[in-house]
Formats: sequence, C-alpha cells, structure tokens
Amino acid sequence: MADSKLADGKTDSPRSFANKGDKQNVVRAIRMALEIEGPAIRRNTQTLNSGRYRAVREIPDYDALKDQARKIKERAIANLPESLQMLEVAVRARGGQVFLAANAEEACKYILGVCQHHDAKLVVKGKSITSEELRLNHTLEGAGIEVAESDLAEFILQIADEQPSHIIAPALHYSRERITALFKSKFKTDLPLDTGEELTKFARDRLREKFLRADVGITGANLISADTGTLMLVESEGNIRMTSLLPPVHIAISGVEKIIPTRREMAPFLELLAASATGQNLASYTSFLSPPLDDPSFALPGKPWKQREFHLVLVDNGRMKMREDPILYETLYCIRCGACLNSCANFQTVGGHAFGGETYSGGIGGSWEAGTGKLENARFSELCTGCSRCVNQCPVRIDIPWLNENLRGRLNHAEERSAFSGFLSMVSAAEEKDRPAPASKIFFGNYHFFAKWGTRFASLSNAINGTKLARAALERFVGLDRRRALPPFPRRTLVATARGISQGKAMTSAAKAVLFADVFTNYGLVERGVATLTVLRALQVDVVVSDSLPDGRAALSQGMLATAAKYARGAASHLQGFLNEGRDIVVVEPSSLAMFRRDFRRLLDDAGQVERFRTFAFEPVEYVARLIQRSGGSPKDFFDVARSPVGKRLFFHSHCQQKTIGCAEPTIALLRAIGFDVSTSTVECCGMAGSFGYKKDFYDLSMAVGADLFQQVAEAEKDGGARALMASGTSCTEQLHGGLDRKIIHPIELLAAILVTSK
Amino acid sequence: MSELTDTFEANAREAVATVERCKNAPGLVRQAVEQLTKDLGRIVVGAAEFVDPQLAAVLQELPGVIRKPADEQLAKADAGITGAFAGVASSGSVCVALGPPLTAAASLLMPLHIVLLPAERIVARPRNLFDEACLGGEGLRRNLVFITGPSATADMGPLVRGVHGPHRLHILLLE
Repeated sequence: MADSKLADGKTDSPRSFANKGDKQNVVRAIRMALEIEGPAIRRNTQTLNSGRYRAVREIPDYDALKDQARKIKERAIANLPESLQMLEVAVRARGGQVFLAANAEEACKYILGVCQHHDAKLVVKGKSITSEELRLNHTLEGAGIEVAESDLAEFILQIADEQPSHIIAPALHYSRERITALFKSKFKTDLPLDTGEELTKFARDRLREKFLRADVGITGANLISADTGTLMLVESEGNIRMTSLLPPVHIAISGVEKIIPTRREMAPFLELLAASATGQNLASYTSFLSPPLDDPSFALPGKPWKQREFHLVLVDNGRMKMREDPILYETLYCIRCGACLNSCANFQTVGGHAFGGETYSGGIGGSWEAGTGKLENARFSELCTGCSRCVNQCPVRIDIPWLNENLRGRLNHAEERSAFSGFLSMVSAAEEKDRPAPASKIFFGNYHFFAKWGTRFASLSNAINGTKLARAALERFVGLDRRRALPPFPRRTLVATARGISQGKAMTSAAKAVLFADVFTNYGLVERGVATLTVLRALQVDVVVSDSLPDGRAALSQGMLATAAKYARGAASHLQGFLNEGRDIVVVEPSSLAMFRRDFRRLLDDAGQVERFRTFAFEPVEYVARLIQRSGGSPKDFFDVARSPVGKRLFFHSHCQQKTIGCAEPTIALLRAIGFDVSTSTVECCGMAGSFGYKKDFYDLSMAVGADLFQQVAEAEKDGGARALMASGTSCTEQLHGGLDRKIIHPIELLAAILVTSK
Repeated sequence: MSELTDTFEANAREAVATVERCKNAPGLVRQAVEQLTKDLGRIVVGAAEFVDPQLAAVLQELPGVIRKPADEQLAKADAGITGAFAGVASSGSVCVALGPPLTAAASLLMPLHIVLLPAERIVARPRNLFDEACLGGEGLRRNLVFITGPSATADMGPLVRGVHGPHRLHILLLE
C-alpha cells in the first residue's frame, strides 16, 4: 500500500489532498487514487452503471417518467417557501417537531440539544450524507455521545476515519481485502474475516446490539412530502428501518430541497431512484413513514411508545441561496442517485476522493460543494470533461456539464493569472470577461486561433510541434502534455481544398446542404471533410462548404462562457444564411454538432434559431442514412462492402457527445446494413474528451480511462483477428492512435471508398 | 390477473425471495407455515390485516408462537409472520403496512420473514399504490414499507444477502 503517514499520524489518502483545493493537490490526489483505490472503484462503479442501463430499460415509460419527475422538482423548488410552511404544519399536527437550520452549526446544535435533553449515551445513525455535510458526528462525539454508524459503508468509513467517496455507496473505494485489513487492525479479533459474509456478520452482530441500546436514531430522507410529512427512505440493509423504528427518539435530517408538495408526487421517484442508483427495480426496502408513528407495533428498548418523539431537521446551509442562483438552482433538483458518478469515465477511474470535495463528489458534486460550502471546494469539478454522458442518465435531467462549465468560469476569475495568459487572451481575442482565465484555458479555448496560424505555416509548425523543445515549451506555458502531439496541421485547409473540387455538372439535387468547416476538420483531419463531400455529392446532394469558424465548444469547455457565446453567435449567424437557402447543416466533428444540438440553447438568445439548429444539423453518416431512407432505396444500392479497402471487420468507437445526442446508432446500423461486421465499444468516453487528455495534469488519468477502450479493442479482435478501427471524433481518434499506434478512420471515409459509382 | 401473479412470482424470485403458491384456505395456509417453521422455536406473528380473520386466528395457534413477546424475545426470535398490504408485479415486492401490533417487528427483526399475500392485492407497478382508486387509496395514507427480497449489501465487497433485516423472505401467495 502506498499510504504514507502524515505528521499527525492520520493516514494520508487521496481525499486529504483533494480537499486542499489547489490544483497541484488535485493532481496528487489523482495519482494516489489511481494507485490505491482504482481497481475497486472501477469494478464497483461499472457494476452500478451497467445495472442502471439494464434497470431503466425495464421501465416502459422511462423518458416520460423522467419528464414527470423533472416537472415535480421544478415546481417543488419554485414553491419551496410555501411547502416548508405546509410541512411544518403537517409534522406538528402529528406531534413531531420541525427545525429549520440556517447552517451546519445551527443544525448540529439543535440535534445535540435533543440528544442531551434525553440524556443520550448512544446515537445510532442510518446513512445520511447530509449529516456528513454538517460534520454532525464531530459535534456529538465532542459532547461525549457515542455515535454508531449502522450503514455498513458508513461503518467502514467511521472506523477508517474517512469521508464518503460516493453519494450512495460511500465506501465504494474499498475492496474486500482492504476491509479485512482494516477490521483486523481495528478490532484485534481472531474471528475469520476473509469473505463478504464473515465481514457482514461481524458488523451486524456489533450493530444489532447498538440498535437495541440506542437512545436516539438519526436518519436522512430521500424525499419528504409537505402535505403529509411523509419521509421516503430507501435502503438495502434494513439499518434505516431499524434506526427509524427502534429507538424512542427519531431525528431525520434533510436538505430543504428534498421537500416535494404532495405524497402522491413521490410515485415517479420510487422507480426512478432505485433504477438510477443501484440498478434495481426497487431497493430491498423503501419505507414511507409519517413519524412520529402513532401506531407503533413494538417498543424497544423497553420504552413505551408514548415516549416516541420525532424531530425533522431541515437544512438550508446555502440551499435557499442556490435557489436564487441563475445557474446553481438546478442542483436542487438532484435526488442524489449517483447516476452521474457511475456513468462518468473519469469517476469510474479515480472515484470521489480525487473527483470530489469535502462531502460531495462526481459530476453534480461540484455544484453541491460550491452551494453548501465554498467555490474553491469545487475545484475538483475540473475533472468533468463535459463529455455529457451523465446528461441522459440523470433522472431529473440536470445539465451537469453546463453547471461545471459555469463553475469553471467562476473559478477562472478566482485563479491567479500570469502575464503570459493575459498576452494570449489578447492576441486570441478572448472576451473581456474571460480574460482572467489561465493560459492553458485560453490556449485550448481559442484553439482555432492557434490552429489557423499553425496551418498557415503548416510544414514549419509541424516540424516545430514535433521537436522536444517545442513540446517542453507548450507543456510549460499552456499545460499541453509533452507526451501528446497536437493533431498535425494540414497543408491545405478543408475550405481551401473544397474550392479546388468541382461541384460537377448541375443536376436535380436530392437535398441541399452546407458542410460546416469545424475547426478540427478544417485545420486537422481535412480528409474527413473531403470524404463527406464525396459521399454527399455521389448521393446527388447540392453541398457547399461554410467558412471555418469556431463554434464555441472549446471556449465553453474551458469555462470561458462569454467567449463561447460570442463564437456561438458568430457561427450561428454565418450558418443562418445557408439555412435560409434551405440547406441542412452537416457537421463532421461530433463535439461541434453537439454544440448546435444541445448547447446553443444556453448561448443564443433566439429560441427559433436554437430550434432550427437542433432540427437541421446532422452527423455525416446519420445524414447519409436519412437520404437513403428518404430515397426508398437500400444502403447496398449505394455502397458495396466488397470494395472495402479495410475488409469487412470493423471496430467502431463513437464519440461521447455523439452518443448523448443520439447519433452513434445510425452509423452502426448503416454499416451493418451494408454488410459489415461491426463491433462497438461500450465505454462511456475514451478519456481524451476534447482537450482534457492533452493537459499535462490529466495525462495519467486520461490514459487510465483509455485503458478500458484499448482492452475492448483487444477483446473484439480475440476471435477472428484484426478489425479496422473507426472513430468519429478527432480527440477519440488521437487517443486510439496514441494508445494503439494504429490507423483510425472515420466511417464517412470508409463510405467514400465503397461508393457504388456506376448506377 | 394470473398474468400479474406470474410476473410477480418471476420478479420476486429474481429478487431472491422464495415464493410458494397456496390455496387461500386457513387449514392449508397453516400447513404451509408449519412446514416452514417446524425446526424453528420462536415465532412472532404480526396482527394480520389483509387476510381472512379466521386465518389470522389460526396463525396465532401455531406451535412456537410467542403471544406477547418481551423485548428480549423479539430480539432473539427466529421467524416473523405478517400479512402484505399489496404485492408489486414489476419488482416482485411485497408492501407491508405498519401499524397493527408486531407488524414492523415481525417484518424486520427476525432472520426469516414469512409474508402472506392475497393474489388479488397484486398491482402492476409501485406507482399504482399512489393512486386513490387503488386498494382504497390506503397506499397514500398508511405507513408502508416496500420489501424486495432479503436485506442485502454490496458494501463488504461481493454482494451479501442477509444484513440487518431478514436473511430470507418467503412469500406465501394466497390464491
């Protein structure tokens, strides 16, 4: 084990670095997490993730149910002040107490007061991450009260003196072997502790005794209904049922955002939460309790039920302020299922101690930390690459990448900047508001600017880019890892090349389109754009090429929101002219296409224009498939698998954002219809994620994420031999090329090569 | 109706509950329960709400039943028996309504939980119980717990069944 001891004797952990909030420590935390916790985290998150995909498929109206849940939460947060009042009345009417705590200190003080009033010696706790946010154990133990965490994950963390690494599986970073070692060193027991069963029995026996003896039980709540004061409590182990039913006093702690107006409205969450969180149809136990129970069926430990008491502690701690925040309010819709953590390739690789703050971790964690703690604690959200894989997994449709892009923008302002970054932002025309961004962000956020100059002097810049000295300089000044090469600059851009290709004779066209000369295709993989033109023209499409303009993606991913909006407006206004001519927009680079389909709504003011970009922008192969379908023909009429220069066996890795906007499937379906044997990756993201993997700080993580993809290629080639590798994204191509040192082509290049020319 | 029952049974088994179909006649149910508990000494019976009163009375007469258990006895009993307010086909869950004496204890504290579910109380999906028209709208008013298989944890590495709650859930499906 690589644990080292700190001066105060506490075990050094990835978490202890991540907490410090400055960048170097985030990087150290990543390295440590990869080394110590990586394998357990990967196994556990990926199990939860695949379970979730399976479980949501079994909900017949999954999408409608998510819409319903989203609407309920929107209304609940909008009407929160009214709901708070209604809830207080409902709980008091049943004989319970309600306390609204403005901050952690108030909450802890109140809870301690209740415990001391009952002269409590022992408090038993169900799982409550909100109580971790409050640092409640610290307060209670400081007052001499024994606290027994009864959720087995929390039990482990209490012994190890660690913070949770995951919102629903707090000890997910622990392998069975590490738990055995921990228990053996802590309890000095001779009992066998070498299997999950033995460890569970050991913990259960210790805790059963605590349940029977506890003076107070403290739980959280998954949801609370304002009309009836009903708590929804979801769990697997039975400890929350014990905690809420056995001790004579029950305290429930909950953030105010958990309140929804009526009990009836809890219905959609029951199935959504179980499926999204643990991949189950329902968790082992989902309780609906309106305490204090006026009809208890048993009374332990020997205390008559009339003494049963209930306190509901509602925690503000920044939430009412988040409600007023134009960006962070969306965080309050979160039902804390953890789907965004489990579907995140980076989280799957390092977990919540590196990809986490004081209490909360993963994609949504940054917003929780910034809202309930301080902005600096959200620095780890830098690990959100904006790959957007979490977006469709969130049961309440929170746009988590957008939250993180905004946090990044706020952090850019908080960071120190060098004179060099000021110079870069000036020459590259970053917006005034984004000027405080560090040099690395300015560079990646305005890549088009540097690419344009690089291409103008392509042979020189490629030669320089290849030198050790240049790579060292790029690493030093803009954080580009020296082990990565920027995509080589082409001698001629797509725009220039297209000028030289004749449109051919005018004929009746099947459709009219414009090929958007995105930065990565125009200044990078030009051949993809040329192949698109070839295929579309063969399909009788009247196609022209746009100017090459930045679309704002690069700036957005660096948190340079004003610059992103400026670029988005520029690209939109240029392309609007083509839309007016009745042209569809075809976009090679999936991250640019996702910009048009998904992100323009955040950056453009005109809703009609946003809708047009959502409707009329297409991925090349998706567009081809539509044209063929519209023609009434079959793919084999247009493409001949026998002409394939790379054989019939393919491996296709679709780009993360391409998957999110639903245009990976058309490529797979079309290639199969033509007669190819297509194997696909199942990873959420390749690890490159745009500029993420190029950065020095994240190189190790990026390669560790990529390892899964490389492994899947090997698996797919185990039987039947090699497959031609295909990827739609520029950065995925770079990652696959870097990891496997093989040629990667875009599916449209393959289609261009197998066109049936004479018809 | 029987399709719902079949779906329920399949999903309950998937969730690692054991399911036994039994004709809804007090004598036969008693026999089935006796078979299940014959090697167990201490049984706690929650007051059965949603079954035939005659059946409820018969259960109290079973050998091994502790009529008025002290706390110590509750903590150490071997099996608990309760009725179910509803069954949920899509998840194979039983929904137990708390309130009647010993129901919460009998569904939680013992290693074996035997639950009696009248087949006509099976609904398609969990959300149905939030409908006023379903089973008298009781699902919107009662203290309830949806129970899906035995208690379980993945916190100790591999999946382990049998944690704080029952290690085994046996559903007697009364038809």
